[in-house]
Amino acid sequence: MLLQIRPPAPKEADLTTVYDAIVVGSGAAGGMAAHVLTSHGLNVLLLEAGRKLDMESELKSMEWPYDHPRRGEMPRDGHAITLNEYTVRQPPYAKDTPYKHVYSYVQGWGGSDYSKNIVVDEKDHPYTGTKYAWVRARLLGGKTAIWGRLALRLSDYDFKAKTHDGYGEDWPISYADIQPYYDKVDLYLGIAGHKENLPHLPDSLFQRTTRLNPSEVMLRQSLKKMNRVLTPYRAGVTTDGLKHNKYRSKCYGRGACNRRAGGCDIHAAFDSPTGLIYPAMDTGHLTLRTNSTAYEVTVDPATGKARGVAFADSQSGKHYEARGKAVVVAASTLESARLLLLSKSNAHPNGIGNSSGHVGHNFCEHVMGPSILGRVKDLVGKPRTLDDGRPGGFYIPRYRNLEDRQPKFLRGYGFEGGGGTGMIPGRALSTPGFGADFKKTVRDEAGAFVHMGGFGEVLPRYESSVSIDPAVKDRWGIPVLKFNYAFGDNEKQMALDMAVTGKEMFEAAGIEVLHADADVLTEGWSIHELGTARMGSDPKTSVLNQFQQSHDVKNLFVVDGSSHVSASCQNPTWTIMALAWRSCDHLADELGKGNL
Amino acid sequence: MKREDPAGLTRRDALKIAAGAALSVPALFTRAMAASATAPAAAASAPRFFTKEELALLDELAETIIPADGHSPGARAAKVAGYIDGRLAEAYLPVEADVQQRWRDGLRRVDVLSQEMNGAAFLAASSEKRVAVLTRMAASEKDPQTAEEKFFRELKATTILGYYTSEIGIHQEMEYKGNTLQQEYAGEEPT
Repeated sequence: MLLQIRPPAPKEADLTTVYDAIVVGSGAAGGMAAHVLTSHGLNVLLLEAGRKLDMESELKSMEWPYDHPRRGEMPRDGHAITLNEYTVRQPPYAKDTPYKHVYSYVQGWGGSDYSKNIVVDEKDHPYTGTKYAWVRARLLGGKTAIWGRLALRLSDYDFKAKTHDGYGEDWPISYADIQPYYDKVDLYLGIAGHKENLPHLPDSLFQRTTRLNPSEVMLRQSLKKMNRVLTPYRAGVTTDGLKHNKYRSKCYGRGACNRRAGGCDIHAAFDSPTGLIYPAMDTGHLTLRTNSTAYEVTVDPATGKARGVAFADSQSGKHYEARGKAVVVAASTLESARLLLLSKSNAHPNGIGNSSGHVGHNFCEHVMGPSILGRVKDLVGKPRTLDDGRPGGFYIPRYRNLEDRQPKFLRGYGFEGGGGTGMIPGRALSTPGFGADFKKTVRDEAGAFVHMGGFGEVLPRYESSVSIDPAVKDRWGIPVLKFNYAFGDNEKQMALDMAVTGKEMFEAAGIEVLHADADVLTEGWSIHELGTARMGSDPKTSVLNQFQQSHDVKNLFVVDGSSHVSASCQNPTWTIMALAWRSCDHLADELGKGNL
Repeated sequence: MKREDPAGLTRRDALKIAAGAALSVPALFTRAMAASATAPAAAASAPRFFTKEELALLDELAETIIPADGHSPGARAAKVAGYIDGRLAEAYLPVEADVQQRWRDGLRRVDVLSQEMNGAAFLAASSEKRVAVLTRMAASEKDPQTAEEKFFRELKATTILGYYTSEIGIHQEMEYKGNTLQQEYAGEEPT
């Protein structure tokens, strides 16, 4: 029943030829660029710094804990950085560690043995500056290998946020410009959800929705009276299957994506390799070169245009240059900024595409931390039900600063959450006592908990930035990023409001509140970094135009989250892909006209 | 970390639970808390780290924390002591040598406390008196102060980890319904 289609055989990269386009990075953005450009018949070389992993043997999604020699844990010589370490230490966090491998905090989640080859070893990938929980995955597919799957659209509340409240900049596009591309992404990749007709969270073209547990239904019904919405998790997961994609199965509700850092070994959850890259390879137009660590966009000195990409073979360390008529940077928000800043030449002394001085700046993301834990008394002691056989719980869209104007903060936040129990009763450790009563309490209460946590928009500020630290180099000798970034008062005020309104919503629904926490987690925790090469119509204050095309270098495009003008409070992956699709259509068109 | 949960449930973990997720196993415990390594449930008869006597004591302690009841077998049947023994045998010694020592000390302290309270070693005491020893050790569970109280916390955390990830814990005790192929999602469609 489950698919086991092998990936297509790769073609050897030809470094003597000039490709139509070179794409750097194979995550959501780079995968989409490869898909769209090859669909236009262009010959594309895709460079990925990491390895290609056999995801089926990495993830083993249905392996039971007791069938694993360490109950799913990674070997003991590996260490996941803790919240406390992120708080009390400065990067680089792996410095002077006694451990053989150090990973970002996501390796402190369940099933760390299944993701230890997916996230980077911090020893190889240091960074400096202010504290930041930077989660990176270097492999074919990037972070889509384990992403959280919440797939949301932005609206004109986001694209025209400055018009709405005066802060920051509007995007150079409106919802009408991107809406057809959101539709294309929905249909090509599959998304589950339930229509709500909200102006601030537009509906997608949904496949079969996931369902709600009893406590979630309670909360949804109660929220209606407050004019707020709880909707099933809008998951970037194909719940009905995709006839046009042989590499992906429909979702069978195994719940594996929630037991691990993430990942789906039947690829019902979108990942870039099976969703985008393998189909692109099947066109015959895509050449994939993994183990290729890009460190410079090279420049034709005669024209100042991009000539190609210099990279080190990640295994041999040998250096190469690939040449293309266009260069598409999609290395992730922070790595793309790093690559542009590293690409200094006479024509581009501050880094390619950086005449504005805005590359690395206006860095923004989502603030996390405030969370509410509740218990539904009526569900205590009820017979066990299947609560986690689905790719996610629920989402409560933004309700602040839409028609109202909050006095203490701008913009808004949403909540992700869910009710019921998973495989392992998470509250056992905080259940007091021991013995038969303890055991019964754990058993009886497991299905009665409901929990949610907020994701809030972080304002972009020019001074929130990353720059190159020439003093520290990564394993390949490439200078690393230095962070100059911290949450401000707006984020702190917003977080306080999250805790207050979250508690109110539970109480209004008759859910007993056990815990309401307003503390903010370390910067970076959301893994939603954005904004370091923003779009705009003014080349003096922005890096890219509305097609993610460099104002300075017309054959250079940056199609990942770095292009976002503001963070909104919605998870960014679906917007990254819709924008990349739109921009790559434009790129193909311009290349065809000889305009690049 | 959530303040009420010093064993180290992070908030994103909590979110994952909320999202209908299993609480991540290692996330339940910080390194310091969870002691150490890994390892398959070793046979109770062949300890890899503890002595036979220590393992027998640990086995009884684990069963006292999560006993067999009318619903399902307890920690003994789930071979929790063997699981803990395996973790400690595979401890990463550059970091966790003290963890091994802490467990040895902890078990010894249980017997010392039992002698003080009951005039007998833990295994030699009646089951009522054993419970009294653990009750004393569990007195300040949320904010353990003494070495005995801290050991209880570590013992309980690791027993929970071993038990609820075991076949008995998942299937018989918790009657977990998932990790199977579903044609339809459970629950209700929103109205």
